[in-house]
Amino acid sequence: MSTVARPRPDVSAAPQFPTSRRAWLRRVQFFGAMLRARPSFALGYTIVTIVAVIALVAPWVAPYEPLKADPSVYLRPPGGSHVMGTDGTGMDVFSRVLFAPRVDLAIAVVGTLVSVVIGGSIGALVGYYEGQRTWRRALSTSVMRSADVLQAFPVFVFAIALVAVFGQSVKTIILAIAFVNIPIYLRLMRSQVLSISRLRYVEAAYVAGASDLAILGRHVVPNSIAPLVAQLSINIGWAVLLTAGLSFVGAGVVAPTPEWGSMIAMGFQNVVTGQWWPSVFPGIALGITVFGFALVGASVEVLADPARRRVLSGSLR
Amino acid sequence: MLLLRYIARRLVYVIPQLFGIVLVSFFLVKLIPGDPAVMMLGPTASEDSLAQLRDKLGVTKPFWEQFAHYVGNVAQGELGSSWQTTRPVTEDLFQRFPATLELISFGLLLAVAIGFPLGIAAARLKRGPVRKFAEYYGLLAGAMPDFWLALVLIYVFYTQLEWIPAPLGRIDMAVAPPPLVTGSLVIDSLIARDAEALASSFGHLALPVLTLGVINAGPILKMTQSMVDRALSSPFIHYAEMCGLPRRVVLRQAVRAALPAIVTIVSVLYGFLVGGAVLVEIVFAWGGAGQYAVQGVLNADVNPVLGFVLFSAVLSLVIYLIVDLIYFALDPRTRS
Amino acid sequence: MPQSAMPILEISDLWVTFPAYRAEPVNALRGIDLDLAASEFLGLVGESGSGKTTLARAIMGLVPPPGVINRGRVLFGGRDLGRLADDERRAVLGRDLAMVIPNPRAELNPVIPVGRQIANVAYHHLGIGRAEADRVSLDMLRAVRIPDPERRFRAYPHELSGGMAQRVVIAIALVCSPKLVISDDATSGLDVTVQAQVLDLLKRMVVEKGASALFITRDIAITAHFCSRIAIIYAGEIVELAETPAFFRRPAHPYSIMLLAAFSHNPALRARWTRSPSNEEAALTHGCVFAPRCVRRQDRCLSEPPAPRRVGRGHLVRCHFPVEVAA
Repeated sequence: MSTVARPRPDVSAAPQFPTSRRAWLRRVQFFGAMLRARPSFALGYTIVTIVAVIALVAPWVAPYEPLKADPSVYLRPPGGSHVMGTDGTGMDVFSRVLFAPRVDLAIAVVGTLVSVVIGGSIGALVGYYEGQRTWRRALSTSVMRSADVLQAFPVFVFAIALVAVFGQSVKTIILAIAFVNIPIYLRLMRSQVLSISRLRYVEAAYVAGASDLAILGRHVVPNSIAPLVAQLSINIGWAVLLTAGLSFVGAGVVAPTPEWGSMIAMGFQNVVTGQWWPSVFPGIALGITVFGFALVGASVEVLADPARRRVLSGSLR
Repeated sequence: MLLLRYIARRLVYVIPQLFGIVLVSFFLVKLIPGDPAVMMLGPTASEDSLAQLRDKLGVTKPFWEQFAHYVGNVAQGELGSSWQTTRPVTEDLFQRFPATLELISFGLLLAVAIGFPLGIAAARLKRGPVRKFAEYYGLLAGAMPDFWLALVLIYVFYTQLEWIPAPLGRIDMAVAPPPLVTGSLVIDSLIARDAEALASSFGHLALPVLTLGVINAGPILKMTQSMVDRALSSPFIHYAEMCGLPRRVVLRQAVRAALPAIVTIVSVLYGFLVGGAVLVEIVFAWGGAGQYAVQGVLNADVNPVLGFVLFSAVLSLVIYLIVDLIYFALDPRTRS
Repeated sequence: MPQSAMPILEISDLWVTFPAYRAEPVNALRGIDLDLAASEFLGLVGESGSGKTTLARAIMGLVPPPGVINRGRVLFGGRDLGRLADDERRAVLGRDLAMVIPNPRAELNPVIPVGRQIANVAYHHLGIGRAEADRVSLDMLRAVRIPDPERRFRAYPHELSGGMAQRVVIAIALVCSPKLVISDDATSGLDVTVQAQVLDLLKRMVVEKGASALFITRDIAITAHFCSRIAIIYAGEIVELAETPAFFRRPAHPYSIMLLAAFSHNPALRARWTRSPSNEEAALTHGCVFAPRCVRRQDRCLSEPPAPRRVGRGHLVRCHFPVEVAA
């Protein structure tokens, strides 16, 4: 060590952010900074917002009626007043593409939410009781084995079977999606609850006399939710794909309803003979939508995991 | 031996699981509306003949009797017949499962060939175009509907470029298939040195395999990248860096550490694709098992569905057992 | 300067900073000055969070991002490892500069047998063949006194006890006869009896190889046996630096005395030198870093950071009012 006193260097070169006293405003600013740093996430949120908006305003924006078939203009290639061309029955592809999100998103969002709520609740109870007294533990184990059995089914065939059993309608598809996804959220919630209910503050609440439901509701569940929320967005995208797939084989929405998968099915034969537009455009829209949800899901994954959030904030300016 | 005991213990769990699967699917399938007698004989059949057929099919008996009857048959290897193909389900499945397995095996092979190296490259290069490309590819591949991609590929390679024969089935109808050895037409053609059959079957296999490969490379890529990423920030890799081991060696160790998870997801995908490749099978008229089951559901043909579910469930359970065995081999910590 | 007199390690005015999102950046190291001569043993004592590990990383050129060296430099054998190309640095690490880490069972590769791990380091650094590397590894296993070395060669880390795994780590560190061995808290987590054995082993082997050692620890008592010089680090600053006998005879910095008192079994002594800072005191950023916890602090300590001052031969203290007489 030298014997000369050293002044401390000026490290206040850190940029000055506008600070706000309200915590939520700070969160919003963090979110904004994240979007600026990760343009892919911003892209995801943009896509999802646009698709949601389209679903809402389709009736006012679409140039044609989605169900109006004009045989005189069937199979027109894209151009002119039909931006995406017309399909085999003369319906305007573009308008139908715009109307499809109403069906697809509604089904996917509702179905996924139902599976989150049901699967999450069962999973929370199962995880919580797994460490406890005998009869409840036996119940937990049997629920988990049943979930195993459910998950051993080939997903697509199972979904079709459900639709076949309960009839072809929007409600049934929602049911099929919910059913297929319940085991996933069940397992996720259960594994989260298992690790959290071992923590001390839960034990403290228990000793203090709080009821099981209160402990679950106030301590365990709120802290377990993060990975489920991350999974939610990705799942919605996947549910849209499943709906489209079901409609493609004829077990989804009833035929002329505008739905991306159904449109692809209707244009199937035309593709082979060279008229690609009735099938390709809906597919592109479908892919972009699911892609957007996947990006949003990836961003939620980063936000929900404290370790990754720290890494992210270290790179933000 | 420790290993045998472990396998035996797992197999014990398999029986009740299989039973549960058969029960649930039986229950579900029985709920599907549709009178099989009417479907078989047509709407103009007389009430008498319908009643006779219903009796013969056993659909008038109570549920548990039907179920017990079915389980008894299954134990003897008798899966009933499909009224659509008028052949025993076992025969149908033996014909169709190899088609599905050939498709998904080659498809998954291609998916690994694409996804694995890309995932490693993306994990290695923290910044740069490769990582960006890999991230977008991983997400896009999972977002694309497989039946749509199949259609696009057909349009490009068949309609426009005419490189591929018509997407109907596994081999040209005019070409004789090679003698049965493995069940895979391509491999069997190679074994039999039948150039014509090889060219035809390969041409028919190319597009569906490309579809499955491109799409399933997505999840494999993502898993590889995230696992290798995680391995690269684990303490022992840190230590390897502190010991000054060369970069290739460190990367190899990280990949080796990430291998169990990657193998798991490949196996899970394999199990999933048995039923999940059905849309691709339909687009290419592949004659696979998934397609067979879907036809069964849509037409209230019970036995094919049950048979397929049983087969694919057994296959899934076998795959999960193999995965656990692979874990044993790869990670010495699980052995004690 | 002749080669033999050139210090193996030269740290001058080293500042390492970690930026924080929307907050003041954290200075993990502030103005560290330290030299280490060849074949010298230096002990570095500090509590958790004092910057010990960051210093070890900085010496190796491996400051984890987003941390940066803000000012000053570290030279190992005359070279700044942080500025070397990746391959060049890898050639130095593990060979001329080795680290003995704590918690070895978490840090050894779980799927590679331990003997092979030692051999790997030898193989990649010494330019010898695989068979030769295996032989060298076996020799090292014997040298670190692992019982039944031939069998243990094939063992996996999780099959070894903590003490044995630590010996393996020492073997890895010393197999290439490094010039400097950094031991970062290498015996924490071990049983006390095992600790003593491991430390003895480490010292013996380092002396045999003629290497220097930087002994980083939280336990000041250990340094008495092994180190010729002691440095005390607090909140990123070296607050006292002295030769060992002088240090234990006349510790000068209040923090050093607090450390020594904490290890003595005299509660009255401990109480006299310990002080818990109040919240406002802890938030003070001007003046001496130790002021909030110092029992001897005065006004000057709160406003003016102390410069290092000499209180004996080779004995430096960063304090305005160093303790004159042993307490």
